[in-house]
Amino acid sequence: MTETTHPAPQTLKSDQLFVNLGPQHPSTHGVLRVGLTIEGEIVVKAVPEIGYLHRGTEKLAELRGYHQCVVISDRWDYLSAMNNNLLFCLASEKLMKVEVPERASHLRVIMCELNRIASHLLFFGTFGIDMGAFTAFLHAFRERELVLDLFEMSCGARLTYNYIRLGGVMKDVDDKWLAKTKEFLEFFKARLPEYDDLLSFNPIFLDRTKGVGRISAEQALSWGLSGPMLRASGVSYDARKWEPYCTYGQFAFDVPLGEQGDCWDRYYCRVREMHESVKIVEQAIAKLQPGPVLGKGVAKVPKPVYGEAYAHIEGARGNLGMHLVADGNGAPYRLHLRAPSFINLAMLQEILVGERMSDVIAILGSTDIVLGEVDR
Amino acid sequence: MNAAAPMTKDELKASLEKVFPDVQPAKLPTGEYLTLRLPSADRLVPVVELLVKGLGFNYLDMVTATDWLGPVSLAGFIREPNFNVFLPEGATPQAEPGGKVAGVDYRDALELTWCLSSLPRGIKVFLKLDVPRKGGRAPSLIPFFKTADWQEREVYDLFGVRFDGHPNLTKILTPDFTVGHPLLKDYVHQKDRFD
Repeated sequence: MTETTHPAPQTLKSDQLFVNLGPQHPSTHGVLRVGLTIEGEIVVKAVPEIGYLHRGTEKLAELRGYHQCVVISDRWDYLSAMNNNLLFCLASEKLMKVEVPERASHLRVIMCELNRIASHLLFFGTFGIDMGAFTAFLHAFRERELVLDLFEMSCGARLTYNYIRLGGVMKDVDDKWLAKTKEFLEFFKARLPEYDDLLSFNPIFLDRTKGVGRISAEQALSWGLSGPMLRASGVSYDARKWEPYCTYGQFAFDVPLGEQGDCWDRYYCRVREMHESVKIVEQAIAKLQPGPVLGKGVAKVPKPVYGEAYAHIEGARGNLGMHLVADGNGAPYRLHLRAPSFINLAMLQEILVGERMSDVIAILGSTDIVLGEVDR
Repeated sequence: MNAAAPMTKDELKASLEKVFPDVQPAKLPTGEYLTLRLPSADRLVPVVELLVKGLGFNYLDMVTATDWLGPVSLAGFIREPNFNVFLPEGATPQAEPGGKVAGVDYRDALELTWCLSSLPRGIKVFLKLDVPRKGGRAPSLIPFFKTADWQEREVYDLFGVRFDGHPNLTKILTPDFTVGHPLLKDYVHQKDRFD
């Protein structure tokens, strides 16, 4: 182990204590280890250590065809795998110059927004648990189950979908699926106010999260934060508005912003994003016209010509970006994922300092990381 | 000049060219974005300083690298031949006949890529710099963007490029016992206690 994460005993002052958080702690949401040096109740140094889930997917992609890389992309952020599928496909389509049919683009939007709802629901539930509120978790998982049922109906998988393919989507959805989705949205809209009653404005929850782990807009930009982490600090940056992809340009929706940049703002940005996602899915379903769902011109072994592409989308955790380099062979020459979880997590070493030991879990929970994406 | 007004690629290119005539568009642009090639490592900090302080760039999207050595023989590279359903059994895309594709600028260099954005002005710029594959060095961007911390550590861990001025340039993703830098094209896996 490196010296930075395991201080030698003689470097600790007499009133300092080294606390090892993780990698098997339930509040770290995966295999994250944070080496905390505390002085009484106050954190004086925090060193996040990652890499426990490093599978080298960027290297693996260099040995596999483009269609196979979609499968790899599922394994990054496994809580919103549709967004990862979409990102890889958008980057590859830029290289291959493939046109995506309109129906497929709408379906991509519908799936990504449903996946955002599922992912934020998991955050909502687990953040509640981190703060000692167990009931919210059960509510969140009841609704998340319905979204996963919809995914199971459309592509057969509940976690790793491989649904969005190069040139479009794997399979069209039928009227039964659309009817069930509308039914879910009606059910879900009625549940959203319940979440506010149950958790958002619960006095104990407010005490634990308001004013905790404040990030200023300048700090957030310097640390390259994105997604709800950045927007909670009042910076409006959403790839869906900034550089619209798929058919996001056609839909009306708001970008929720926070003011204080504290844990509660980060939490509430995500809750309000679920409202917006419902709006987007409703509009996309209304615009859905019959047509093909897979574009023509995608080879079985695609060999895009020598070139580079960069695509970025608004994933559930932030600005997902992909730098893809092709040299004319059947596999990507180089694939780099700009993983928002990885970049958001780096911030911990600064914001944890000076916070109370009991708030560490609140701040860690509010960053909403997925270790599959942090380590890749 | 209004620092919040939208900016086009040509305007950005012109305002950079005025100060740095040797920073020219790269031969291989990154998609539709403005891509500039830095002639040497000491150009990076002044160019980024101009972008940040003069042109309203406030966001560092990513730091990454590409190894341009080209496809290499897979002997000793992976333990089992990769069964690939789209290709004849045992073949891997990089081991296809020819391997190297004509017209591609393979060279003995690592290409570092920085992507910076100006959120208010709605523009991204890609900066590229060639460094040697062994012992490559570049200045760290931590004075401008703290996000460079972990991203530069990642490039160091996976490619072996050292960033001057980085306060804690240590491994980040691979285990402490990993020998070499896995994203180099000629990386050969060394047996460890998990094999």
